[in-house]
Amino acid sequence: MSTRRNILKGAAAAGALGTFGAGYAETLKKLAKGKWSGEVPNAALTGNSLTPEYVIDPDTGDLAMNPDIAMSYTMCIGCTTMCGVRVKVDKAQNKVLRVTGNPYSPMSTDPFIPYEASVKDSFLAMAQTGKGDGLTNRSTACGRGNAVLQQVDNPRRVLKPLKRVGPRGSGKWQTISFEQLIEEVVEGGDLFGEGRVAGLREIRDLKTPIKNGAPELGPRANGLVVMNCVDDGRDNLLLRWLKQSYGSTNFTRHGSYCGGAYRSGSGAMFGDFKKMPHAKPDFLEAEFVMFVGTAPGNAGNPFKRVGNLIAKARSDGKLDYVVVDPVLNNAQNGPSGDRSRWVPIKPGTDGALAMAIIGWMFDHDRINHAYLAQPSAAAAEAAGEPSWTNATHLVIVEEGHPRYGRFLRGSDIGLAVEGDAYSDVDPFLIASEAGPVPVGAEAAPLFFDGVVATAKGPVAVKTSLTLLREAAASRTLMEYSEACGIPVETIEGLATELTSHGRKAAVNSHGGMMSGSGFYNAYALMMINTLIGNLNWKGGTMIAGGWFPDNKGPAYDLAKFPGMVTPKGLPIGRNVPYEKTSEFKAKKAAGQAYPADGPWYPNAPGLATEWISSMVNHYPYGAEALIFRNTNPIYGVPGISHVVDRLKDPKVVPLIISVDPFINESSAISDYIVPDSVMYETWGFTKPWGGVATKATTARWPVIEPKMEKNAEGQRVGLETFLIATAKRMDLPGFGDQAIPDADGTLHPLNRAEDWYLRGAANVAMIGKTPVPEATDEDLELSNVARIRADLEAVLKPEEWRRAATIYAKGGRYENIERSYQGDKATYAFGAPMLVWNEGLGSFRRATTGTRMPGSPTWFEAEFADGSKVADHYPAADWPVKVMSFKSPLQNSYSVGAKALLRIIASNPVVLGRALAEAHGIANGDMVRLTTPGGSLESVAVVRDGIAPDTVAIEHGYGHKGFGAQDIMIDDDIWPADPRLATGVLLNDMGMVDPTRANTGVWVDPVSGTAVRQGLPARIERI
Amino acid sequence: MDTNRRGFLGAMGRVSIGAAATVAGAGQSATAATDPDHRTHWGMVVDLRKCIGCQACTVACIMENDVPEDAFRTHVSVYELVKDGQDPAMVMLPRLCNHCDNPPCLPVCPVEATFKAENGEVLVDASKCVGCAYCVQACPYDARFINHETQVADKCTFCFHRTSVGLLPACVETCVGGARNFGDLNDPDSEVSRMLRENEVSVLRPEMHTNPNVYYIGLDEVLDGRVAGEAAYRPPLTGEAQATHGEGL
Amino acid sequence: MERVFEMDVQIHELVGAVHEAAWLPWAVQYFFLIAMSVTALLMSLPGFVFGREAALPKARLALMVAVTTGITAPIALLADLHQPGRFWEFFVYTHKTSWMAWGAWVVPSYVGLLILFAWAIHRPAFYRWGQQDWRFAWLFRLLSLGGEANWFARPLGMAAGVAALAILVYTGMEVTIVRARPLWNTPFLPLQFAATGFVGALGAMLVLERVLSRDGALEARLNRNLAAALAVVGALGLAWFALASSGLSPRHAEALASVAGFPVWQKIATWGALSIAVPFVLALVLPRNSGWVTGLIAIHAAWMFRWTVFMGGQAVPKVGSGLYDALMPTGIAGLMGVIGTFGLWLFLIIAYTTFIPWAEAGQPDDGRGAKAPGHPVRSV
Ligand SMILES: Nc1nc2c(c(=O)[nH]1)N[C@H]1C(S)=C(S)[C@@H](COP(=O)(O)OP(=O)(O)OC[C@H]3O[C@@H](n4cnc5c(=O)[nH]c(N)nc54)[C@H](O)[C@@H]3O)O[C@H]1N2
Ligand SMILES: Nc1nc2c(c(=O)[nH]1)N[C@H]1C(S)=C(S)[C@@H](COP(=O)(O)OP(=O)(O)OC[C@H]3O[C@@H](n4cnc5c(=O)[nH]c(N)nc54)[C@H](O)[C@@H]3O)O[C@H]1N2
Ligand code: SF4
Ligand code: SF4
Ligand code: SF4
Ligand code: SF4
Ligand code: SF4
Ligand SMILES: [Mo]
Repeated sequence: MSTRRNILKGAAAAGALGTFGAGYAETLKKLAKGKWSGEVPNAALTGNSLTPEYVIDPDTGDLAMNPDIAMSYTMCIGCTTMCGVRVKVDKAQNKVLRVTGNPYSPMSTDPFIPYEASVKDSFLAMAQTGKGDGLTNRSTACGRGNAVLQQVDNPRRVLKPLKRVGPRGSGKWQTISFEQLIEEVVEGGDLFGEGRVAGLREIRDLKTPIKNGAPELGPRANGLVVMNCVDDGRDNLLLRWLKQSYGSTNFTRHGSYCGGAYRSGSGAMFGDFKKMPHAKPDFLEAEFVMFVGTAPGNAGNPFKRVGNLIAKARSDGKLDYVVVDPVLNNAQNGPSGDRSRWVPIKPGTDGALAMAIIGWMFDHDRINHAYLAQPSAAAAEAAGEPSWTNATHLVIVEEGHPRYGRFLRGSDIGLAVEGDAYSDVDPFLIASEAGPVPVGAEAAPLFFDGVVATAKGPVAVKTSLTLLREAAASRTLMEYSEACGIPVETIEGLATELTSHGRKAAVNSHGGMMSGSGFYNAYALMMINTLIGNLNWKGGTMIAGGWFPDNKGPAYDLAKFPGMVTPKGLPIGRNVPYEKTSEFKAKKAAGQAYPADGPWYPNAPGLATEWISSMVNHYPYGAEALIFRNTNPIYGVPGISHVVDRLKDPKVVPLIISVDPFINESSAISDYIVPDSVMYETWGFTKPWGGVATKATTARWPVIEPKMEKNAEGQRVGLETFLIATAKRMDLPGFGDQAIPDADGTLHPLNRAEDWYLRGAANVAMIGKTPVPEATDEDLELSNVARIRADLEAVLKPEEWRRAATIYAKGGRYENIERSYQGDKATYAFGAPMLVWNEGLGSFRRATTGTRMPGSPTWFEAEFADGSKVADHYPAADWPVKVMSFKSPLQNSYSVGAKALLRIIASNPVVLGRALAEAHGIANGDMVRLTTPGGSLESVAVVRDGIAPDTVAIEHGYGHKGFGAQDIMIDDDIWPADPRLATGVLLNDMGMVDPTRANTGVWVDPVSGTAVRQGLPARIERI
Repeated sequence: MDTNRRGFLGAMGRVSIGAAATVAGAGQSATAATDPDHRTHWGMVVDLRKCIGCQACTVACIMENDVPEDAFRTHVSVYELVKDGQDPAMVMLPRLCNHCDNPPCLPVCPVEATFKAENGEVLVDASKCVGCAYCVQACPYDARFINHETQVADKCTFCFHRTSVGLLPACVETCVGGARNFGDLNDPDSEVSRMLRENEVSVLRPEMHTNPNVYYIGLDEVLDGRVAGEAAYRPPLTGEAQATHGEGL
Repeated sequence: MERVFEMDVQIHELVGAVHEAAWLPWAVQYFFLIAMSVTALLMSLPGFVFGREAALPKARLALMVAVTTGITAPIALLADLHQPGRFWEFFVYTHKTSWMAWGAWVVPSYVGLLILFAWAIHRPAFYRWGQQDWRFAWLFRLLSLGGEANWFARPLGMAAGVAALAILVYTGMEVTIVRARPLWNTPFLPLQFAATGFVGALGAMLVLERVLSRDGALEARLNRNLAAALAVVGALGLAWFALASSGLSPRHAEALASVAGFPVWQKIATWGALSIAVPFVLALVLPRNSGWVTGLIAIHAAWMFRWTVFMGGQAVPKVGSGLYDALMPTGIAGLMGVIGTFGLWLFLIIAYTTFIPWAEAGQPDDGRGAKAPGHPVRSV
């Protein structure tokens, strides 16, 4: 036939065959590989599963260690809980293979094993040989804790010092040597071709005031400011460097955008606005707990401990609980039936709920008279109460009285006081038939409202409790119910439950308080505990048992050293009374003391949120150098995006240094990045935030060799090397060969991290009546502390090192669980009174308004700095929705790089309820746009039942721009962005600034100064 | 079974561990230990009242067993349930291979690569598996998958490598809520036996008559099979996962 | 999709896992091609084995389809094995409880018998071509193995027919017994596989008829056959649906429930119905002018049925909610598998029509039937 046809046919045949080849190339390749077409796994039955760490002899029950593996007890920093964990290390590869808990540690185990147990016994406890087939003392790491070992090998880790190339935040870097880094940051100069930048040496001027005419603000040295995430156990060294050696007062942590409002509200009641003590429910013994704004088992600190206890308590124990939360999450548990319930609430309105409950308690006389009536420690003790309150103390309520809002004291009524008036010795007064009398060892009247005679004439006074009752009665139950969206019957039901279990009922809170009303919401919620009288009671609430501190102990004094300086001046964050400033004095002299140019927060701790405002506005003063240390406010602070551009301007803050293993959103805008160690490579000591009734110190040590490059002296670059090198270059006191005094006053060197931490370990080991036992050779071997044995022996004294080794071999020091209670009461009881009225709060004036605020809990509707209502600026008619945030059960703010987590939950759509969705024609899976006055974002909508009406919830931990979510250029290499790391959205991108502030600042709670991320006014639309 | 099936113990390096075949009972009670005919039968009891959905088990399993991207040997499904117009409630449901006593995955295996080990584990002999995935189809629990790296059927082994040397499975060891409990169902004194005695338990897909060895406390029947409801949101983008997802070598 | 419970429940999965399809598009191709092959083989028997002279033109096309698909199918099957290099294990460790294990024996038997049968049918022509003086004579001498007797074609054909039935039984059963997949676990499935197999085979024959023979009578005949096959498929489908929706058969009901309610499945159902109805009507109304269209739609329908059953079936979670990425779960690699398989098939068809004297195939010479035409018709 025709050749043309044959050619066509041939071509078709070839094409067909080619397609076949392409489709089957894979198969052919596989065939060519023979028996194993894939990778050959290590074992036929168990694939590439890890080799067991040890094996148990079936006959003897004895343990034989796998010689290639180290099992070391150290600490996880997968979140702020900082659990004691057990890390499985491949010694040859210097690689962490897997992580689980440390059975000695209460953060990871309940019940935890006795500290006396040898390391070997601790291993056996977690094997099938252990109690309850190994289940009783099983010790855990959470989902994140299991995954974050991937952060060590995160391909986007910074391992060499980086210096920016091009403008701040441009994502372009060059690697520099550690020595160049130290030289440049200390000496300054024209570092970026943008003009001269002052170095740390120059800024350390302890004499010249930082601001002309305002000596109260302290010296120029205060222009070095350090922002720190949380105390990961390394803060003491940093604080020594900054405060005692360098002489700056400016150090802050993340509290003001973490759970600061809760902590401040709690601090108001516990009488300490700086340390902000807080108590946690005794989960296992409590019969009823109301969680409002904290989600046990979903997040929370200590995350695992609370998760474990709540699970146990609701199934094996006697606990019923309610989670009051705008959104239903893992804190509730359907299979537990009515023992765990969810009550939806409108974001930011918890004060209304709390005051409704408090009002109900007064109305139904369900407050704990016997407890509240004790006006002093002595009275409480006599009455068998493990704590007491100022409920009966008389408060001056006379308008215009110079001591308005303060307590009536002995000196006020002319009693002779041995010491200064209004000092501790000046007695508080209580009501009596015969007028005010000093508190004694007996019960006092709970309520009093009248006028008493004082040395300066008659004065209206009320007891604290009277004031609280009035505050509660200022609205009806119905009004409260409408405010918070919880039906009256539900509120009554909650109040009934809370008051039906004696002391075994409690209220607990945390992150949900980060609203514009957060401080008073928290204070009000906590006050319910005081009205129940549950503090220090088994089944009630308890403070943390404390710890075995590292910095001050019988062996070494790490807190003091010869030549140390005392930092001076008011902190940059304005958490002091405005009245102390020259501005106040000048304005007062000019006739109008208020308003100040910006808000001041005398009743708050250091406020990272306000720092940013201070720095960009230079009010009260600016910063010359800023150090971000393992912190990420640019990601974490709602609304901060509004000021980031100003932070990026080198004229605003001339030098920004980050110490961090990653290029996160904050280190991204710095000038230098000092690489740092990741968890298992670092040293440190931490104590639990709360929830542990016994003393506990968790120790962290490098169980693997850190990955950062070495400096010229052969030490790994990191925080410690940076601090020591800069200190030595500037000749700061407290570093170098003569730095650390021991008990005899002999000075020891501080030239490397080990010099500091190992001495800390000796302190932890030696403190208390009986020091810890010496580690045996077996302990050292099994825990692989043998790895640092040489250092222990070199740094410590012969009688110390084996005891310090025990601290590392067991991952810390833990008091035995039996010490939790003494009889019915907590062993470590909180001693100071619970403040039903807080006079610091009740008497200060808001700098921006000159007005006062209530000194007892109240339902406070959110206000901006000028005292105007947020709801008036952004009325519900225009902004009908409230946006809020909740923690991911899986992610935290920096875990996105641990890839195993994104496999499980790949993103965070926004959550809204059915009614809201229907009203806007939104179906599950639709794209929506959310808009607040602070910004807008687009995301996928997930329509759920478990969310309060008119509320939109965003899971936190996604929506990153750092960590590799965007391209990074280092020298000539591009680290390309990974879109998976950028997945999802971040509520903070829509955070708001306070429109009433002349000096830009993000919207904060007016008392606690804490960032607002709950209850942002918003609207939603389908796109 | 053949040496291959015990071969993994060779990976233990220099440690000598005596008779591996009997180690399974290292944690057994006196009752079980004194009975010469005692044969350990592993089982898991998952107390749903204790699960907090933290996914520690999921991640631990991935780390322990090198589970490839886009597959799970275990994971925890999370549901929001509204029943009869009551308040919505959360249910966290850990899922894994049930090590069925009547495992549908076993008879279909054309080459006898899937087998039931002496302590009840249902295992795959990777050196024998032809990767036909018939077992993947036959398992009523979506508990099996083809491992993209090894190209053979993969699934939970009940951490055979750990339990046979006296350790707990990784997911059990790290279970934060204490929901996962593991032990010898043939030992009346074991923790799991006690839990089975003292609680009402159920299994997933009882209609399949697979006789699972994973039991649940507090399992609602609306969740025990295929769950009729809105599926979880899955972002279209899985980036790198996609890249390794093909059958590439 | 809702299971009926005593109470009213609404469930929203917040965290769930996705399971990939483990049988990849190659599996679809295998089931598609093998069903076409065996049904085509069966359709070749009347003409070649049972002596129906008039059926010869159809039988020739049928055999061509049977052989080309019959060779391609096992290759697709091999590719669907993740460890193709271990295929031999099927024959060493036959697990008696596994339909697949038996299938491993049936498939080569069938393919072997099929090829022997086809060879036997073509042997006389091979021989003839080998005797001529032309370029490829040597090849045909080789192919004829030096003789032209083919009396054994009949028994071979019968044996292949039996093997074909065994294939239909095993492929149907292998899938049907999978209780874990309700969509597969219906007693109708083997019948549906067979019926759609006929549809696919007839479709292929129609297309080949259009390309190779252009014989209106044959086209009409094939179209009539196709209409009948489609009627059976339709009837089976309707019966399936009736059993399922009435609840008379719990297994069918469960199968329906597993996909009902998902819009994508409603679309599939409509599509499926159209792929049956349209060629059915065309084949009946325009039997002489619609071969191309009915043929292609028929091939598509047979393929689509399997794609839906296998890929769609695997997209139905066994325990979770919703559907996994329905219908195209395997990305580019999977697509290449599909195309590659068709490539091989096409190649074989070209090769077959080029090198095999298919048009000369006649009834075997066992002294009963007539001889094939005497003049060679070569295409090479
Ligand atoms: N899994 C996980 N655990 C963690 C962390 C993590 O990122 N992930 N981070 C750790 C850290 S740093 C912290 S501070 C703790 C925080 O732990 P939590 O305080 O328990 O967590 P949050 O999610 O911040 O807030 C608690 C709950 O408050 C709710 N909420 C929001 N607005 C309101 C409101 O206006 N009123 C009420 N009543 N509730 C509201 C949220 O929905 C959320 O469920 O968790 C620690 N543990
Ligand atoms: N919308 C919204 N915003 C929130 C929250 C929320 O729930 N919703 N939560 C708030 C809360 S509770 C908090 S506590 C803050 C947290 O915010 P920040 O305290 O500012 O800190 P993180 O984001 O936790 O950043 C700590 C940084 O340390 C670095 N890092 C991580 N691992 C290691 C390590 O192993 N070693 C070293 N050296 N560095 C490491 C990482 O770069 C990480 O970014 O965010 C708050 N912001
Ligand atoms: S709760 Fe989890 S992530 Fe946080 S420290 Fe503990 S183990 Fe690590
Ligand atoms: S759960 Fe599935 S894989 Fe596991 S034994 Fe049962 S049938 Fe087999
Ligand atoms: S995939 Fe492997 S284990 Fe599963 S049935 Fe096939 S051969 Fe057996
Ligand atoms: S027993 Fe082992 S393999 Fe099975 S789910 Fe748990 S960790 Fe994974
Ligand atoms: S580890 Fe335990 S508590 Fe956490 S999700 Fe898994 S089963 Fe549930
Ligand atoms: Mo926090």
